[in-house]
Amino acid sequence: MKRFIYPLLSAAIMLSAATTQAADKPKLVIYTYDAFAADWGPAPAVKKAFEPVCGCEVQFVATDSSIGILRKIQLEGASTKADIALGLDTNLTAIARDTGLFTEHGASSASLKLPVAWNDPVFMPFDYGYFSFVYDSDKVKSAPKSFDELLNMPEDFKIVIQDPRSSTPGLGLLLWVRQIYGDKAPEVWKKLKPRILTITKGWSEAYGLFLKGEAEMALSYTTSPAYHMIAEKKHNYRAAGFTDGHYMQVEVAAVVKASKQKALAQKFMAFMVTPAFQDIIPTTNWMYPAAAGKALPGGFDKLHTPAKALLMSGKDVAKNRKAWVQEWLDSVGK
Amino acid sequence: MGAGVAGQRRQISPALRWVTDISWRPGVIIALGLLGLVTVVFIAILGVGSTVGSSDTSGIGQILMITFIQAGLSTVFSLIVGILLAWSLRHRQQFPGRRLLLSVLSTSMVLPTLVVALGLVDVFGRRGWWNALIDLAGPGFDLATVSIYGLGGIVLAHTYMDAPFIARGLLHRLENIPAEHFKLARGLGLTPWQRFRNVEWPALVPAIPGQCLVVFLLSFTSFAIVLMIGGSPRFNTLEVAIYEAIKLEFDLPRAVALALVQLFVCAALVLLTMSLRSGNILQAVRRPAPMWPEPRFTLIMQWLVIALFTLFFVTPLIAVTLNGVGADFVRLAGTATFRLALVSSLWLASVSALLAIALALFMASSQRHFTSRLRSKPSPMNKLYRGLLTFSGTVYLAVPALVLGLGFFLLARSFLDDLTAVAPVALIAANVMMALPFALVILTPAMGKAADKYDRLAFSLDLHGWARWRLIEWPVLRQDLGYLLALTFCLSLGDLGVIALFGGQGFATLPWLLFQHMGSYRTADAAGIALVLLTLCLAVFFIVPRLFEGRTRAET
Repeated sequence: MKRFIYPLLSAAIMLSAATTQAADKPKLVIYTYDAFAADWGPAPAVKKAFEPVCGCEVQFVATDSSIGILRKIQLEGASTKADIALGLDTNLTAIARDTGLFTEHGASSASLKLPVAWNDPVFMPFDYGYFSFVYDSDKVKSAPKSFDELLNMPEDFKIVIQDPRSSTPGLGLLLWVRQIYGDKAPEVWKKLKPRILTITKGWSEAYGLFLKGEAEMALSYTTSPAYHMIAEKKHNYRAAGFTDGHYMQVEVAAVVKASKQKALAQKFMAFMVTPAFQDIIPTTNWMYPAAAGKALPGGFDKLHTPAKALLMSGKDVAKNRKAWVQEWLDSVGK
Repeated sequence: MGAGVAGQRRQISPALRWVTDISWRPGVIIALGLLGLVTVVFIAILGVGSTVGSSDTSGIGQILMITFIQAGLSTVFSLIVGILLAWSLRHRQQFPGRRLLLSVLSTSMVLPTLVVALGLVDVFGRRGWWNALIDLAGPGFDLATVSIYGLGGIVLAHTYMDAPFIARGLLHRLENIPAEHFKLARGLGLTPWQRFRNVEWPALVPAIPGQCLVVFLLSFTSFAIVLMIGGSPRFNTLEVAIYEAIKLEFDLPRAVALALVQLFVCAALVLLTMSLRSGNILQAVRRPAPMWPEPRFTLIMQWLVIALFTLFFVTPLIAVTLNGVGADFVRLAGTATFRLALVSSLWLASVSALLAIALALFMASSQRHFTSRLRSKPSPMNKLYRGLLTFSGTVYLAVPALVLGLGFFLLARSFLDDLTAVAPVALIAANVMMALPFALVILTPAMGKAADKYDRLAFSLDLHGWARWRLIEWPVLRQDLGYLLALTFCLSLGDLGVIALFGGQGFATLPWLLFQHMGSYRTADAAGIALVLLTLCLAVFFIVPRLFEGRTRAET
C-alpha cells in the first residue's frame, strides 16, 4: 500500500509546490471570496490588467465567503501572507476596523460614484449592489411594489430567503426590514412568515430553488436579471422594485497592516477605482462599479434602479446585529 | 483456550499479523491517536480565543430537544425503510437490474447534500413531479399534494440519504444466514412472519444499534438540509449555532463549548448502543441462498417494496441527470480548473479510502479482541476499551467539519509557513475521519463473525499471519471490503468544511467547484458537475464491489 501512496503524495506535493514557485518580481497577495477568484470572476482580468502596471505578480487566494476573508486574516494575525483583503461588505467594516488589522489605503475617493457619500481612510469600495426580490415575469404577472404589498400578497405567493446567520443577503434583508420598520420589524416578520417557503443557508440554495420554480420570488440583487439577459439571453427575470427603497451592499477592500508590500498594496487600491478595474466588474461580478468607468454594458440599462438607497452604518450593525438576529429568530422560528 | 495464541510468530508481514491475529494494540493506539487529534484541535482553537466567550446558553436546550425529535424520527424511518428493503431484496435474488439498483441506492448518501436536496425538490417540491402528477389526476386528489418544506421534508431527505446505507448493511447480514436455518424454518412450516421473527430478526439485531448510531448522528448534525428543507429556523441543529459562533461572532470558546455538547451527546449514545449490542450470532460465509416459493401475499409485498423504493430512490437521481445532461461538457472538460478538480478529487479519494479502511481494520480487530470470549476475559477494562474504540470511531460525526477545519488550520500554521502543501493532508485526515464510522459499522460485526466462527479452529491449527488472512478473514470480509472501498472513495471525493480555510491557487475538488459555479449563477455548469459526480459514484459502486466478489459464488 505504501508503494501506492507515496508516488501519489509526492505528485500532490509537487503539484502544489509548482504553483507557489517564487518569481523575482514582488508578489501582491489578495485574499478574496471564491466567486471573485473564480475563472469566470473578476480576478483573472484584474490580475492581467494590474500586473503590467505594477511590474509585480498578483496572487488571489480564495476563501469560502466574504466573512471568511476577515476570519482567515484574523487567525493568521501578524504572520498573514495577505497584503489586501478584497470583498468585505459594509456590515463587516466596523468589526474589521476594530480588529486593528487594517491600515489606510492612501488613495483618493474622488472618482467614487456611489449612491451614498463615502469617505473612509481604511475601506475603499470597489462595487455595490442593491438587495431585491427577483421574480420570473412569465409566471408572476403583478409583483409587489413595496414591503406593504408583499405582506398583503396571498399566502401561496411564496418567497425564499437566506438565513441572516450564514448569508450576506439574509443579513441584508434583516437590516432592510429593520431600517424601514424600526421596532415594528418583528411584527412585519410575523406577517411575512406564512409567505416564506423556506430559509436557506446560502444564496446558492435559495436561488437554485427559485430557478426550479419552487417559489415566486427569491432574495437576490437588482443586478441578478443582468446575468440572465447578458449571459443567457433570457429576459423573463426581473427585480421587484420596492418604493420603500432598497438596502445596499457595498463591497470594499483594505490594506492589511502586517503587509510587507504596503506601497504596492496602496498602488493597487488606487488602481481599483480606475476604469481599468471598474470596467471588469459589471459582467464578471454582476454588480455596479463603485467608480467612474465606461458606460455600463447593455442589459444594465433595463435593470430597476432604486429611487432610494438604504444603508446603515457599520457601527449600528455591529452593535445591534445579535439582538436583531435573536428578534428575527423569535418572530420567524416560533 | 487460546493456546495457539502464544504460539511462535514467524510470519512475513507483521502488519497483517496484527490485523488477523490477536493483537489489540494497534487499534487502540489509533483510537487514542484520533481522540488525541480531536483534543489538540479543541485546544488549538481555545488558544486563539482571545475574545471572552459568552456564557449565553439560552435556547440550547430547545435546539437539543427539537434536534433529538428530528434525528430520532429520521433514524426510525431510515431503519424501517432499510429493513423492508433489505428483507425484500434478500428474498428476491434475481431480477434484471438488481445489481444496478444496489449501486444506485448507495449513491444517495455520498453525493453532496445540495445535489441530493435539489433532486428531491425536483420530485417532491411545490412544483415537483409528484404534485404535477396529482394535478393531472384531477381535483379529487388534492389531498395527495405534498409539501416537502418542514419537519416531514427533513425526515424524508434524511431517510432518502441514510436508509440505503442501513439496507445495504442489513441485506448482507440476511444473505449470510446459514442455509440450514432457512431449511429448518421451511421444515417447520414457519410463515414468512415467523421466519422473520425467529431466523432473520436475530441476525439483524447485532448490526442495528451501530447503524442507528451513525444515522442518528448524521441527522443530529445535519446543516444545509435542515435549513433548506426545514422551512423555518425552528428545526435548526446545534451545527448552525456553531457556524454562527465561528463565522459571525468569532466567539471561539462558545463554538468549542457547543461542539463539546455534541461530543457529549455522541458519547452518551455510544454508551447506550453498547449496552444494546448483543453478541454476534453465528453467520455463514456467504452461500447461495436457498430459494423456495413464497406465499403469494409475501411475494406481492416484496415486489411492491422493491418497486416503490426503487421509484423513491431513483427519481431524484433521474432529476439530477436530466438537469445535468444539458451542460456543455466539452467546454467544462476543457477548463484547467475542472481537470485539476477531477484529478485532485480522484487521488484524494483513493488515498483517503485506502487509509480509512486500513485504520478501520485495525480498530475492528481490536474491537473483536475485546468482545470475543476466546481472546479476552470479560472485564470492566474490556468495556472501557470497547467504548473507547466505538467513540473514537464515531467522533467525527459529532465534531463539526468547520471546527475540525479550523483546528487543522491552526495546527498547521503553528508548525509550517506555507500551508499550500498541508491542504491535501488536512483534507485526507478529515476524509478518513469521516469515512471511519461507516467502515467500522460494517467491518466490526464482520470481523467479529470471522473470529466467532473460526477462532477455535484457527488457534488450534496455529494459523495466523498471511495464511489466516487469506483463509479466514479475506473470504468473510472481501464483499464488505469491496463495498466499503467504493463507499469511502465516494464519501471522500470532496469535503467542503475543511477546504474552506486552506483554499488557494492550484487546489480544488469537484464538490467545491460545483458550489463555486452554483454561487455565481452558473446553474447549468453546476448541474453538469453534479452529473459527473453522480456518474463517477455510480461507476465506482458498480465496478469496485464486483472486483472484490471473485469466485465467492462458486466457493461452496
